[in-house]
Amino acid sequence: MAVAVLAAASAGCTLKNSGEPAGGRGPASARAGGGSAVLADGSATKVALVPGGAHPYFQPWKSAGADAKKTYRLGDVTFDETAEWDQQKQNNLLSTLAARGYNAFGVFGVSPTDINTTFADLKSQGLAVASLGSCPAGRNEADFCLSTDVELAAYKAAKAAIDAMGGKGTIVHLTGNNVDANTQLRIKGVARAVKETGGKAKLLQTVTDIDKDLQTAQKAVSDLLTAKGKQIQGIVSTAYNPAVAAADAVKSSGSRAKVVAIDDDAKILSSIKQGTVTATVVQNPVGQAEVGAWALALLQTKQCTMRTPGRSVDSGSFVVTKKNVTTYDRARKAKTGRLKKQFADDVLACG
Amino acid sequence: MTMPVLPPGTDTGPAGATPPRPVHRLPFWVNQRLGLLVLVIGLSALFGVLQPAFLDARLVLFPLVRDVSTLTVVALAQMVVLSVGHMNLAVGRMAAFGALFAGFGYDRLDLPLPLGLLLCLLAGAAIGALTGWIITRTGVSSFVVTLAMDFALLGLVSLLYSALTENAAFTSRPSGLAELRSYSLADICVGPVCGSPVIPQLAQFTVLALVGLGFLYARTRIGRELLLTGANPAAAELSGIPTGRRLILAHTLSGLLAALAGFMAAVGTGTFRASIGDDFMLPSFLGSVLGGTLLTGGVVSVLGALLGTSLVGVIRKGLDLLGVGLESLNIYLGCVLLLALSADRVRTVVAHRKVVRST
Repeated sequence: MAVAVLAAASAGCTLKNSGEPAGGRGPASARAGGGSAVLADGSATKVALVPGGAHPYFQPWKSAGADAKKTYRLGDVTFDETAEWDQQKQNNLLSTLAARGYNAFGVFGVSPTDINTTFADLKSQGLAVASLGSCPAGRNEADFCLSTDVELAAYKAAKAAIDAMGGKGTIVHLTGNNVDANTQLRIKGVARAVKETGGKAKLLQTVTDIDKDLQTAQKAVSDLLTAKGKQIQGIVSTAYNPAVAAADAVKSSGSRAKVVAIDDDAKILSSIKQGTVTATVVQNPVGQAEVGAWALALLQTKQCTMRTPGRSVDSGSFVVTKKNVTTYDRARKAKTGRLKKQFADDVLACG
Repeated sequence: MTMPVLPPGTDTGPAGATPPRPVHRLPFWVNQRLGLLVLVIGLSALFGVLQPAFLDARLVLFPLVRDVSTLTVVALAQMVVLSVGHMNLAVGRMAAFGALFAGFGYDRLDLPLPLGLLLCLLAGAAIGALTGWIITRTGVSSFVVTLAMDFALLGLVSLLYSALTENAAFTSRPSGLAELRSYSLADICVGPVCGSPVIPQLAQFTVLALVGLGFLYARTRIGRELLLTGANPAAAELSGIPTGRRLILAHTLSGLLAALAGFMAAVGTGTFRASIGDDFMLPSFLGSVLGGTLLTGGVVSVLGALLGTSLVGVIRKGLDLLGVGLESLNIYLGCVLLLALSADRVRTVVAHRKVVRST
């Protein structure tokens, strides 16, 4: 019935926009480089940093955004984590922020397969948009993507675990939401590292959907160690909550499994110092927010355009072990500095 | 459009045989839907004054109405099973199940937009019918069966997406899908007169669902039988109503509407993915119960589901616009909803006392 009415309505009425593309404005043409990437006046730029929902990973965005506001004298930088990991709610939040006058958006999309539609919507309204912390599946419709290469980070983590195991043995992979494109990439990254050992290392199990909260992760890790603890020589966690849970569980159970975690939670860092966690793969959320806000302001003020619209840039991932646990932040800050230079030299075209 | 069932034995025969007792009707302002309408309009006006951006047609009202349209269909999916005294805890997964078939149809079978929608609705109706059949055949409560169905579909849908797609989503977009998502009535013109930019074209499905269910419950024998089955199953059975078939019908309709909501949610966000419907269960109860549908069955309010959902949507959007944080937003939302429900109860009690005093 709905289809019939739709057809009747279409037949009886004219579509005002029928001749126009649905996607909004076309990609900005890149101008020749050579200009300055120093932001002239960012006072009219209001940047909104919008994660997919509340998660410890994004907390550095808040302070990095506030710092960027001061450093670059931006009109405003807000951090809003009320999307509750629901794409529909995030879309609503973004349009609400746009209505409140925010004109530049750094977004961690809830659904990598849907977020391009949202980016296209925002861009059609003349807003500057960056995909921060995660790139959309397929072609990126945002101005740029600044994120950890999740497949590479997972590969590094699995490789670190296999190396710590002496190049052979059985590992398990703990990760997040199975029906998420990024989780699928992480699974691929771990599988690649295992495959490269030529059968010496084996992947016993991939445990998904345990990054919802710490309690869920703790229960899953505890069950896993109880059931298969003796077979497991390595644990690779590519999600935050399972990483914290694995660090705790290995410490309390006295398991000899080599744990490679993700991010730099205080518990994980102290476990690395004590030797119960072998390594952790640290990402660069501060760099994402700082460089992201700066580049967004340059795009929003039209001082620069993208040389290649939609380009993806790796914000960096670092393997932290006992050796470099006290010094890794320097490497991360240096990476943020290099990122800024990369944007000024290669990514942006400034007049 | 509240449709209660008349108590058994109510005389609706020809007037004049015996002088009817004076009927003391409650005043018009006790009407729950009127109260909701006043609240929706009042809160919209208040938010509009506090934050003028609330009245921005493109950035605020259009997405708000699009969301309300989808969530109203979700509320209707719950309402039809509430009408028979059951509940559907799998409403979100049924939405994901229906959307899976639509996505599969577009991605693998290259179906046009309407045929994919049809496939989605058929899949939703089938899974709803199966649920209803299990409930009637086993006699197990709808709570348990739909909870089990929720778990079963959670696994099945995830498994199928993982097996059939690379990114756990069907990303093919048939011709017309982008327009259905972004076009409003302003894009439809009859001569020089165009529609409102606030009403999305997606809302046509909600209107059809509202009209269809309104007609079913208010004008058809089957609708009345559904309500009587919910009000008193034993009496309904003794009256010759095939209660088993009516229960299956209610669950079939619920599955169909859930699948429609899943399709609308997928159109709204852009792709057909497993996480569609994850957050549908709470709004499904909230919209229908706020609107006046009884959890115990026998009374539904089709228009109330729309108003209840609108109230929640307006409050959420208004608080978002005022920049209220996540924790505070949920506290305020809870308080305002509690006030809305309390105000309705207070209104009813006050009106009832007035009527009693006047007799």
